[in-house]
Amino acid sequence: MPMSFAGRFTLAAVLLLIPTASTYAWVGSAAKRLEIATARANEHPHADTQVATAAPADEAYCNAGLRKVLQRVLKSCGLLGSGEVRGCQPADAKSVATMAGPDFNALFAPVAGRAGIVQFEKNTSQLDARDRTLLDGVFADQRGASYFLVVARASPEGSVQHNRALSQDRAQAVLSHLRETFQDPDLDREVGLLWLGEEFAQLDTDFCRWNRSGDPSACETADLNRSAFAAWIDCQL
Amino acid sequence: MEIKPRHGMEIKPRHVAFLVAAAAGLVFAGFSTFDFALRLDRQVHDIHCSFVPGLLSADHSGSSGCHSTMMSPYSSWFRTQLWGGIPIALPAMSVFSFLVFRGVELLSTRGRERHQAAQILFATSFIPVVASVAMGLISWLELQAACKVCIGIYVSSFVAMISAAAIVHDSRNAALSEDAADLAGPLGRAITVWGAQIGVFVAVPALVYATNVPDYTPHMGDCGDLLSTEDPNSIMVDLEAGPSAAVEAIEVFDPLCPACRAFEHRFAASGFADHIRRRAVLFPLDDACNWMVSAALHPGACTISEAILCADTRSQVSAQAVIQWAFTHQAEILTATRNDPALAKPMVEQAFPALKGCIGSDKARAKLNRSLRWTVKNKLSVLTPQLYVDGRKLCDEDTDLGMEYALTQMLASHRSR
Repeated sequence: MPMSFAGRFTLAAVLLLIPTASTYAWVGSAAKRLEIATARANEHPHADTQVATAAPADEAYCNAGLRKVLQRVLKSCGLLGSGEVRGCQPADAKSVATMAGPDFNALFAPVAGRAGIVQFEKNTSQLDARDRTLLDGVFADQRGASYFLVVARASPEGSVQHNRALSQDRAQAVLSHLRETFQDPDLDREVGLLWLGEEFAQLDTDFCRWNRSGDPSACETADLNRSAFAAWIDCQL
Repeated sequence: MEIKPRHGMEIKPRHVAFLVAAAAGLVFAGFSTFDFALRLDRQVHDIHCSFVPGLLSADHSGSSGCHSTMMSPYSSWFRTQLWGGIPIALPAMSVFSFLVFRGVELLSTRGRERHQAAQILFATSFIPVVASVAMGLISWLELQAACKVCIGIYVSSFVAMISAAAIVHDSRNAALSEDAADLAGPLGRAITVWGAQIGVFVAVPALVYATNVPDYTPHMGDCGDLLSTEDPNSIMVDLEAGPSAAVEAIEVFDPLCPACRAFEHRFAASGFADHIRRRAVLFPLDDACNWMVSAALHPGACTISEAILCADTRSQVSAQAVIQWAFTHQAEILTATRNDPALAKPMVEQAFPALKGCIGSDKARAKLNRSLRWTVKNKLSVLTPQLYVDGRKLCDEDTDLGMEYALTQMLASHRSR
């Protein structure tokens, strides 16, 4: 028996209603959810923020005491504020650190794995191939650190004035090499120089175990202090 | 076996097969449309991806074949005019619904009228078959994804077509043997009615969909701006762009991030490369170089990123070639590096011997570090991929289904500025 026109029409309408009504319901429901989510986001803009924001590293060893000292040292060295590398006079470093030499050196113990001690020949500030290799490796391992500290020293032979100038030359030699090798426009905002001459915080033989460019079999304190200690510091200030 | 209801309709197994196949197609296409429409709220949802959708729990991995297929530019039409476009599964729903209608209607016909109706049914059943073949080839060759719900649609389409062919064969014999009154009208009229009917079946749901889609205009371009688009350290890598691409964009990505690979495919297929000149900032989510992640989400990504930066400074190999290689072999690289991250280096060096000596060098490491620090300066989210068009962020919610619509809006906004 053939289906009547009304029967066909009803059948078509019912079957047309399936995609149409479903679509209407699904899209309408999504629109409602979007409206609610938008209203919630407007009320509490940061409520759903679960994604971290890119930031410099701030490692656990950066305790309040270290931050305070570091801030003083870096400000004195020109890293904070003007953004230009000025370098620190020995007296400045001593006064901003307000601590004994061994305590000052102990500040850097947590970065032992990332630091390098560039050892110079007696009475020179020239970098040799091993010095450059060590320095490049340490500098390339920046990761999230914000500041690269170069602490240059001299062994006690010679006059205080001479050693002060010599350690300054050593610090500058390191900076010049980094500028030339890495051509990093941010360098002057990252690298802080301290030259301590023979007057403050001489390295002791505990530092012989650190990564250094000198003869591995020879490590007297005099050898260790004809040097520039270089390390990235993972602290935010 | 034949069932003869009271009113004289003859229901044969081929009719049952046809109706079941059409109804199954309607259900599969319905689930697919439902999953698509679910995402119109710009949020993340599970997806039905099984041969018995609704009976098994939906997939929430985001890596299923159904997900890849849905997020591809082939899953919908009018994507630049509507956020997400109109899902191709919606007209599929309409066509299967129409097939059910014509299949039931056919049961009330006899003789030559039935034969004519069967022929039209058979012709109609070609529509989902042709679409299935096209989509199947795209899934297989282009997307390399096996979408189970889609396969359900393909199988339903073929079964419906074969059943329809059997119905035509059967109705021809009946038309010749039966001495029934010839109720069949002219073929031209039948085709016109068919065209009008299927037009209504397809157009009405599509219109309802298009007119009820939310207004996304307020959400466009409100996801933040870059603090600076400058590249003083030359860490950005040029990506493929058309010769007339005028609008600058910066893409932050990880070469071993599957979402970045999928985004690259969508972007390439969208045709926006003709308008947008992209530069890439490498942001590997690998703790070997990136201190912002606590574990290596994509082990080896730092090494591959260094390779891209190395290639950018060499004439023998282009950065784009390394990126393309990393995307093409991403699964293979990740499988190897999840066991041993160090394997990334020999793999990339084998593919690009000219990069030997550069990958892992102090300069390459420092350059990658500056790339990471660029994201710090701009206070970006630790997330990939991110695209900034003319310094304005394409919202994360718009990087898949809504990408074409959002980019169209952003380009229009750029032109009006």
